[in-house]
Parts: sequence; C-alpha cells; structure tokens
Amino acid sequence: MRKLLSLLLVLALAFSVIACAAPAPAATEATEAPAAEATEAPAAEEAAAPAGDGITLGVISPNTGALAVYGAAVTTAVDLAVSEINAAGGILGQQVSVINTDDQFDPAETLNAFNSLVSQGVGLILGSVTSGCTSAITGAANEEGVVLLTPSATADSITTEDDYVFRACYADGFQGAIAAYYAKSAGYTDVGVVYCAADTYSKGLYDSFAAAAATYGLNIKAVESTASLDVQDYTNQFASMVSSGVQFVYAPYYYDVIGPYIVTQARAAGYTGIIMGADGYDGTPDYVVEGADLTAFNNVYWTNHYDPSDTDPAVQKFVAAYKAMFNSTPNAISALAYDAVYMYKAAIEKAGSADPAAVRDALADTSAVYSGVTGTFSLDATGTPTKGAAILSFASDGTTVTTKLVDVIKELK
Amino acid sequence: MIKSRTTQGYLLNTLVIAILLIGFSFIKESFGKAGDFKLIIAPSIWQCCYLIILAASLNLTLGFLGQLSLGHCGFMAIGAYSAALISLAAERGGVFTEKSGAAFILVLVGCILAAGVLAALVGLLVGIPALRLKGDYLAIITLGFGMIIVNIINNLPFAGQEGLAIGSASASLYKNGLGFGTALKVTYVWVAIAVTLICVAMMFMFVRSKYGRAIRAIRDDEIASSASGINTSFYKVFTFAYSAFFAGVAGALYACANATLSTASFAFSNGGILNSTFVVVMVVLGGMGSLTGSIVAAIIMFFVNYQIKNGLWVKLLPMWMQNIFAFPMLVYAVVLVIVIMFRPKGIFGTYELSLRNFFSDMKKQRQNRLAQKQESKEALNHE
Amino acid sequence: MSTFLQTLFVGLRLGSIYALVALGYTMVYGIIRLINFAHGDFIMVGGYTMIFTIPVMVSLGLPVWVSVFLAILVCALVGMSTELIAYRPVRKKGTSMTALITAIAVSLLLENLAQAIPQIGPNPKVASQIFTAGGIRIADVTLDWTTMLTIFISIVVMVALYQFTQKTKIGRAMRCVSEDKPASILMGINVNRTIVTTFAIGSGLAAIAALMYIAQYPKVYTTMGSMLGLKAFVSAVLGGIGIIPGAMLGGFVIGLVESFTTSYVSSSMADAFVFLILIVVLIIKPAGILGKNMGEKV
Repeated sequence: MRKLLSLLLVLALAFSVIACAAPAPAATEATEAPAAEATEAPAAEEAAAPAGDGITLGVISPNTGALAVYGAAVTTAVDLAVSEINAAGGILGQQVSVINTDDQFDPAETLNAFNSLVSQGVGLILGSVTSGCTSAITGAANEEGVVLLTPSATADSITTEDDYVFRACYADGFQGAIAAYYAKSAGYTDVGVVYCAADTYSKGLYDSFAAAAATYGLNIKAVESTASLDVQDYTNQFASMVSSGVQFVYAPYYYDVIGPYIVTQARAAGYTGIIMGADGYDGTPDYVVEGADLTAFNNVYWTNHYDPSDTDPAVQKFVAAYKAMFNSTPNAISALAYDAVYMYKAAIEKAGSADPAAVRDALADTSAVYSGVTGTFSLDATGTPTKGAAILSFASDGTTVTTKLVDVIKELK
Repeated sequence: MIKSRTTQGYLLNTLVIAILLIGFSFIKESFGKAGDFKLIIAPSIWQCCYLIILAASLNLTLGFLGQLSLGHCGFMAIGAYSAALISLAAERGGVFTEKSGAAFILVLVGCILAAGVLAALVGLLVGIPALRLKGDYLAIITLGFGMIIVNIINNLPFAGQEGLAIGSASASLYKNGLGFGTALKVTYVWVAIAVTLICVAMMFMFVRSKYGRAIRAIRDDEIASSASGINTSFYKVFTFAYSAFFAGVAGALYACANATLSTASFAFSNGGILNSTFVVVMVVLGGMGSLTGSIVAAIIMFFVNYQIKNGLWVKLLPMWMQNIFAFPMLVYAVVLVIVIMFRPKGIFGTYELSLRNFFSDMKKQRQNRLAQKQESKEALNHE
Repeated sequence: MSTFLQTLFVGLRLGSIYALVALGYTMVYGIIRLINFAHGDFIMVGGYTMIFTIPVMVSLGLPVWVSVFLAILVCALVGMSTELIAYRPVRKKGTSMTALITAIAVSLLLENLAQAIPQIGPNPKVASQIFTAGGIRIADVTLDWTTMLTIFISIVVMVALYQFTQKTKIGRAMRCVSEDKPASILMGINVNRTIVTTFAIGSGLAAIAALMYIAQYPKVYTTMGSMLGLKAFVSAVLGGIGIIPGAMLGGFVIGLVESFTTSYVSSSMADAFVFLILIVVLIIKPAGILGKNMGEKV
C-alpha cells in the first residue's frame, strides 16, 4: 500500500509538472510548448472532418528524441506561416490545417508517421528534417503519389531519385563546395577536416567538401574524425591539425558542439587558423560559455541559408513575427520550414488545386521563382533550389559573440 | 487418438493459426478505410514480425539462460546490413532484375538465412569470451560489443552512415535491393508472417528440447547443473549464437520493411522503441522465460507506441494527457517501473500461453488464487 | 613530443572525470551489487541544478562553484528517493536481474522526464565559466588548472571514501552489508538505512563530478549522463568494481586509452577501443585490475 501511494504521488507530481507547465511556458525558453498547443487544435478538427473543405498539410519532424530541437524549430515555423496564411484568407480561399507527427529521429518511425498521414488523406507533406529519416520515405512518397517537400534534408540524393520529392534547402554538394570555394578564394591551399563519422550530416558535408577540394586544387592534408556526437574533447583532433600545419579547417558540426567545445578547445590546442562550418553553426552565439575568453570565436566562418540580421524586409518581417510569437530568434531550420510552407502555397495557387499530382507538376516547373526568407530561388530539375549561400562569420569583443555577413555567393565559378 | 499432449498442442496451434491466416486473407481488404491495409496494417505486421522475433530471441538468453545481454540490436544490425548488401550484390550480379518471381524469392530467402548465419557467427565470436563472465559483467560486455559492432559498421566504407543511410544507397536498397515499398510490403507480407512463424516454432522447439532443459538448469543453478554433467559453457555459447541467429533474421526483415538503414537505429538507446534497451524492456514486460509473453509484449509495445504517436483518438484526449503523450518514452519508462514493481517477473512470468491448455490453466490459476487467499486468511486467523 | 604531452593531458582530463564519476558508481555497487544505470543521470540532475542556481550565486556575489552544494543536496535527494521508491521494493521481491532492469528504467525515466519539463526541454544549455582558465605550460602544451583540480578532488574523494568506509561506524556497516546482508541484520545494523546513506553519498559524489565535468565541458543536456555514465561504469569495472582505488585507476586508464587511440590509432574508433580494452581485461582478469578473483560458493 505504501508502495502504491508513493508511486501515485510521484506520478502525480511528475505529470502535473508537465501538464501544468506546458500551457504556461516560461518566457525565455519554452518555444515548442505553445506551438504544440496551437497546432494541435486544428489537427483535432481535421480528425473529425478529414475530407472537408480546406487544405491539410502533414508535417513530419523529430519532436522527441535526440534532435527534438529541430522538431520544435519546424513546428513553430510552420505554425507561424500557416497562421499568417490563414489570417490572410488561406490558399485559394481555403483555410490550411496542419497535422503534426513525430518521427523520433528514427527511419522506421518516420515511415509509420508517413503512412499514417497518407491514410488520413494527406497529400502534401512537409518533412522530415534529417537526411536519414527523409530517405526512409522518399520512395514511398513517389509510390503513393504524395508530394514530399523537405525543409532541410541536405543529402544530395534525396531528390535525385524520385519525382515527388522536393526540398527548400540547397544540397550538401553545394554547401561543401561553397566552403571549398571560399577556402580557395581566401588563398588557402592546404586544408584540414574534422568531422563526425557517425553523423550523416557531418559525413555528407565532408564528402562534398573533399570532392570540391579536388576540383579547386586544394590539398586536404589532415583528416580527423569523432566516433559520435557525444564526444566532448576535440583537443587531440585540433592538435593534429596544428602539427600538420594547416590554417583552414573544415569542421561540419552542430551549434551545441561548436559553441561549448570545439572553438575553445581548438584555440587552447594552439590552432589559430580559420574554422569553417556549415548551417549547423546557426545559433552558436547562444551556446557560448559566459565568462570565458570569447575572442576564440574570431576567425570562425560558416555557410548558411539566410542571415537573420539581413536588412531585407522579408527576413526582418519573418524574424520579427517569429520573435513576437515564440519569443526567440528563429534558426535556419525554422526559416527553411517557413519558406517551405510558402513554396507549397505558391505551388497550390499555380496548380489551382491542392491535388498532389497538380502540385507536384507546379513544383517541378523549374521556371517558377520563389522568394522567401532564405532568398529568391527556383528549383532545378531534381527539385533542389538553386540559391545563393550566405557566408557568415563570428565576431567577438571577448564577452559576446555576434554574427556578421561576410559574403553572399550566388554561384560557384 | 493422438496420445501425446505436446503433439495435440502442436496440432491445435497449427490448425488455429492456419484458420486465422485463411480468415485474415479473406477479410484483410475490409479493414478500415480503403488503403488502410496497405498503409497501416501491412507495415504494422512487418514491424510486429521483426519485433516479435527480436524479443523472443533475446528471451532465450535473458529468460531461459538467465544472462542479460544489452547488445542484442548489434546482432540485428549485422543481419540487416548483410542482408541489404547481399541483395544489392545479387541485383548487380544479375541474379534478379525485378522484385518478383522465383529468383527474387530465392534471393530473399538466401538473404534472410545469410543474415541469420552471419549474426550467429558473430554471436559465437562474442559469446566464447563474453560468456566466461556472468551477471552484471556480462551485461556490460555485451553492451560494449553492441557498440563496437555499430562503430565498426559506421566506419566500413561500403556500409554505415555513408553507404546505406544516405538517400542514394537507401534509394538503391529500395529500388534494387530487398527494400520493399508500400505495395510490395502487401505482396510479400506472407514472407514476414512465414519467417516469424518458423522462427517462433524453432525457438519453441529449442526451449522444449534437451537444450532448453539444460539451459534452464543452468539458469537455476549453474554449479549443480555442471555437477550433473551438463557442459555449461557449450550450452551457454550455443544458446547465445542461436539467439543471435534470430536477431540477424529480424534484422533482415527490418531491412525489407524499412528499405533504409542507419546505424543509429541499432544503438543501445535512441529515440525509437527499436534499440537494445527496449528489446530488454519487451522481454521483461512479457516475462522472462515465457516466449508467448515476449510475443504478446512485442505486439503490445508496437501497438501502444504506434497509437500514442499516430492514433487519432489521442487528439480527442484532454490537453494534459496529450502533453504527456507527446513524450512516449516517458510513458514507457513509467509503465516499466510500475510493472517491475508489481510483477517483477513480467506480465506472464514463466507461464506459456497455450491454446490446448488455456481453459485448464485458467481454472488452475483460479484455484491457486483461491488457495492462496485461503492460506493468507488462515495465517491471519492464527495470528 | 608535444603531441604526446597533449594527448597525455587530454587523457588525464578525461580520466579524472571518469574517475570521479566511477567513484560514485563503485560506492553504490560495492554495497548493493547493483549497476546503478541512473548514476549518469544523477550527474545530469546535478548539472541542471547548477545551471539554474549559478545565476542566483552570481547575483548574491558568491563564487560560481558554491552552487555545487545545492547540487549535492538535490542529487542526494534524488538518489535517496530513487532508492526508496524504485530500488527497495524491487530488491525485496525480485532477482538481481529485475533490479538491474529497474535501474535502466529509472535512467530512462529521469532522462525523459527532464526532456518533458519545459524549463529544461530538449535544447542543451551551456554553463558559464566556473574556474579561471589557464594552467601550466610544458613544452608549448597547457595542463589546465581545472584538470589538476579535478585530479586533486578525485584523490581527496578517494582517500576520504576509503577512510570513511574503513574507520567510521556507518562505513563499517556499509562493508558489512555488502559482505552479508542477513548477518548484518543479526548484528543490529539497520540495512535499509545504510543503503539509503550509501545512495545519498554516491549521488552527492555525482554532483561533485557534475561540477568538475561542466567546468571543463560546459554543455548540459538531458542525455549527457548516458555515455558518461557508461564510460565511468566501464572504468569502475576495469579497476575492479566495488574497490575504491580501483575506480580511480580504471578511470585514468580509460581516459588515457581513449585519448591515445584518438591521437595515434583512429579518432573515430576511440569508443570501440575503450570497450575492447574492457573486454580484454575482463577476460584475463574477470574481477578487474585490482579485483580479487573469488571462488564461487556452492
């Protein structure tokens, strides 16, 4: 009896924490809670009347698990875009509703989520976030005739095999090549790479960087890797860069590794040259160690889909609206997901209906021009945008880190 | 007529399963809305099948041999990757060109068998040194092996993150290898069911053979069983390899069903329910030492996980419950703690569900419970 | 030479952390023979406690590391309640296997509960600088003050624990309980209270480990304890689990192996080598480096 009582008490405590805390999020951190709430309401209506008027958009994202951060980024941005669209009268006069599903960052679960959406009659799907999960459903999307628009799966081959698959971001091949291009134009010939062997994103970028380095005549002198994203110490890897004498290191990692670990450890190991990364660096300034010597972050460059400090009105409008709704600065994944919703809007309006086949044809039109937060672009024959990449760098006066735009590269020469 | 109760049981089980299958094949298209079978039920059957094989095979080591292995998904990874690679090689070699016909089915069966055999070989390699240890030490060493296997696959140039996880290779597994799309999953659903039935039957026969009796003796008292002439190290290693074989087969089915492979899916723990931790959870929930328990637990686990995330009824629940269901892993952890607290031997304990003895078992159980109540009452009276 | 030194220092840095965590592991295992999988998650609890209390300390004008005392308190409470709610009922009823699985379940529960609490959430958090940077420079390579402090603290903790278990009354009770539970009940030892104390000390140690961990690797996230806990556990097993100096030794061996593998063999296979070393050692000496091989009682 005592056991039961203690258990009940603990359960009640734990669940009340979650249940109570979620609807009234703390002002600073909880970005995903209101999104979950807001997007689930229309979804419930949808469940009641699946075939009614209106356009239903399925969203697949990792809402729990290791990459829950990206799931939150996608659901919030979709929420923002859809509420804007609905407030402005919807698409073709129809209101848009969203069904969110969780892929738990697992391919098998992604497939389950996809099948569940399709069986509910959803024909337009936005997702998933990572290349690994998205590749689990590209074939099925094609087979079922369901349009799949991924905001951020960058692996080259996601869109090459299947007619129904598109994306809002550029592919790894382009992003890695830009880094190599930048290294060449900055005058470096010897470069080094540190990457994570167990991460599709990191490994894919390393591959494309290596391929582009060969074209540009760069010499990759040193390659080091880490076994997982859980590794905390990168000192040895950068010590090896120092001993091989390179002044440019390509390190495709995520913000939560760059901020607290890599940059400070690399500088402590005596590496003073350029550290270059990709869109995973977005958000780093929020993840630096307060009180440490942040000048280490000078000389760090990265490529991104957009620049949040861009004065372009579209970007500023998006950033302001996002901040107003979720009280945080959107990251690149949010920007891409936001653009992806508007890509759907443009394609549906062009097709004149939300019929998947018609939307697919509209998206496959390579002459259509989309203009969004991440630039003005059109899709190429495979379904990947051809758009410029922003090259950003961190600047630090020692106590804070800020991001500044270095260059925008529209195409590779 | 038929004397032996075991034979009677086997016949009855076969009969009932056959009737169920025939009935199922007649009514399968009438499930739910049009397309539900293709989109939901067939993929669910595939996933249940590999989860059942995986959980039941771990039960051989965990429940019957009494040794905790925390790296079971490592063997599954070996099976999945070898089946995928062999099928891709067969396609490149021109053994089959499209996913139908006798040649393809032969390749499919070959891949599944090869996956099992390779996993069993690795199981042998792992088992010989590892099974010299026991208990907690064995748990940690198998966990280590599981991680090494995943680490090695990650670093293989033709597999791992770069070879099969990224779109191109996954698309090639889907296009050219044994990866099944939605329609083919329906066509070949019989493969999954047949493989599962065969595997489960093999495991049942193993448990009831002299091997099964030997390993249960080892579980209950290793020293006594060794004193009575049981070669304990042989039986332990054999069971370990035998169980790895089925994990490999489950891996092959996984490769078929999901058409994409990523080593993250076979880790010690990850976001989904398919990882070494959750296989242990399934076995414990079902009952260590009850194969039917593992089967039921695997199905329940899959069903609950699927429903929590994709079920439409979840949207009708009050908000606070939805907020909790948004974190399925939390729910499972709580359920696991509760089950262990109140039924430390799992839902089924060591009881095997049997059609033949179902009613007599129920009766027996009721009598037992009554007897227990009586006893406790008497004990109270005495006090 | 400088590569060697650098690798050595990194190994020491990792090793000192593993050693500190392993001490807590071994403490609990030594008494109740249970791999406390949740120990790594106690470190996570300690880490988050510090994340939330450091700003308070700063506003009160106290040094940042003072928040470790709060963390020790919180961790000890979590550890004791885990023992009371989850482990004790299971220990009464089940086998050692069910206890181990309970430990896994508690670990899952803590990780996912943390993720479900909105103030924590899935986003990692970064702690602010705890100790001043810098260190001794030898041949162009720096040995951090923090690393030395960690090594110093782990030695102090080790000696203190050793003295505690050898000399104090409750320490002796702990050793009795680990040797023979029924007999210690007969000797008038309150077994349950002893075990709860063990958990309190072990979890408190996790908070100290958390402080030293985030002083060097300042990222705090919900699953931070799983890999760290695993490596620390491997260290404890390697040194001979239940033996206090063994945990220390094992921690440094694992840290050095990891670092030297990264530098000299293959940087992406470091984890595999760690486990390979464990397997080799366990096969040669099944009770660990400092462990005594005891014959089995019939």
